[in-house]
Amino acid sequence: MRLGDETALEALYARYGGLVFTLALRIVGDPELAREVLQDTFLRSWDGRETYDPRRGRVPWWLMGIARNRAVDLLRSRPHQARLREQERLPSGAHAGEPAHPGTADAVVLRRAVTDALERLSGAQREAIELAYYGGLTQAEIARHLGQPLGTIKSRTREAMERLRSLLEPRIGRTGKIGTTP
Amino acid sequence: MIDEHPVEDLAAYTLGSLEGTERVRVEEHAVACAACAARLREYQGVVGALPLGLAPVSPPSEAWESIRAAARARRARRRRWAGPVSLPNWLRVARWPAVAAALAVLLIWNVTLQRELVRRAPGPGPEVEALSRRPGRIVILTGSGKPGASARIFVAVDGGGHLAVSGLTPLPRGRTYQLWFGRTGAPGVTGATFGVDAYRRAWVKVAVPASLDDVRTIVITEEPASGSPTPTGMHLLEALPWR
Repeated sequence: MRLGDETALEALYARYGGLVFTLALRIVGDPELAREVLQDTFLRSWDGRETYDPRRGRVPWWLMGIARNRAVDLLRSRPHQARLREQERLPSGAHAGEPAHPGTADAVVLRRAVTDALERLSGAQREAIELAYYGGLTQAEIARHLGQPLGTIKSRTREAMERLRSLLEPRIGRTGKIGTTP
Repeated sequence: MIDEHPVEDLAAYTLGSLEGTERVRVEEHAVACAACAARLREYQGVVGALPLGLAPVSPPSEAWESIRAAARARRARRRRWAGPVSLPNWLRVARWPAVAAALAVLLIWNVTLQRELVRRAPGPGPEVEALSRRPGRIVILTGSGKPGASARIFVAVDGGGHLAVSGLTPLPRGRTYQLWFGRTGAPGVTGATFGVDAYRRAWVKVAVPASLDDVRTIVITEEPASGSPTPTGMHLLEALPWR
């Protein structure tokens, strides 16, 4: 892909396009906007292929980072309260749309592991993770939104992340490899 | 020395949930701290896996086609910008003569300018600059008898003065312009005699009276070449009253 090979872009899309779209849809809550995020993500990865630094993160992290930031940018362009209301309306994982193919066995196993790990968090821990990652809120905004001290939110976020890390490490190891597309 | 480990902020950092200064602090710390950098990589792996916890939704089938079309368009645009500029045939043939002609024009202009600078008398630039740094006053003379002409007298507090004139006609041989300071109850004193150049300009040093308190008028007249003890010609330029 660094050389501008279109087939590499196609392979990247085939592998991660579904995951990027799923993530974008979860954040922005609108299929049209999610498609915009999807296209932006792959075009930005195409534009930035020469500056991609593998030492700073693997390709899926990089892609998810682009997608998440673009989606949050779109989300932040709306009024704050409307965004929070939208977050409350959208329960995790529940979206209108065509369900994807289950993917390879590895992907199914990994997905199951991530879902189980998230379910094993306390409600407050899961909420902190989701408001931060999918809601695009800073720790201070989450603290204000939940009416909790900032230190409590930071501790909760760290505890949640530590729990996820310990639960998922057998699956993703320390390499961060996250398997195939959904 | 490594700052205190930002343990509480590492998770929030990988979730993209820190504000500017906190984010920078984590990044700067991670550059110097291998342990925190390793922990960040582990957290990044977790965050990268989070979307797998969502019910997967397939993107629209036409999404890839539009991405591919956009990528091709970008690549074509880059090639157009990066590629060699294609000149039309007539321009390709004419470009070297055009460059040579431009260089010749530049050379001629440079020589002409140099000659013009040599031909002109040295300008008052440095003196004006020096005067501008000295405290003092400026007197403006307007063309009462010579409309369109004007003059400025720069008087420094230490008594030195300079006169800048423009717009006066060059005089025939045997004639001169003369600057006068008129005083109440006393004869006027002359400050300078001078001629103007072909551009109708002059820059001369002026003898300013020791006390300006009793000076009521300042005028420039036309006088015989040797100068006059008192003004005899009409007032061509004057500052009246000048305070």
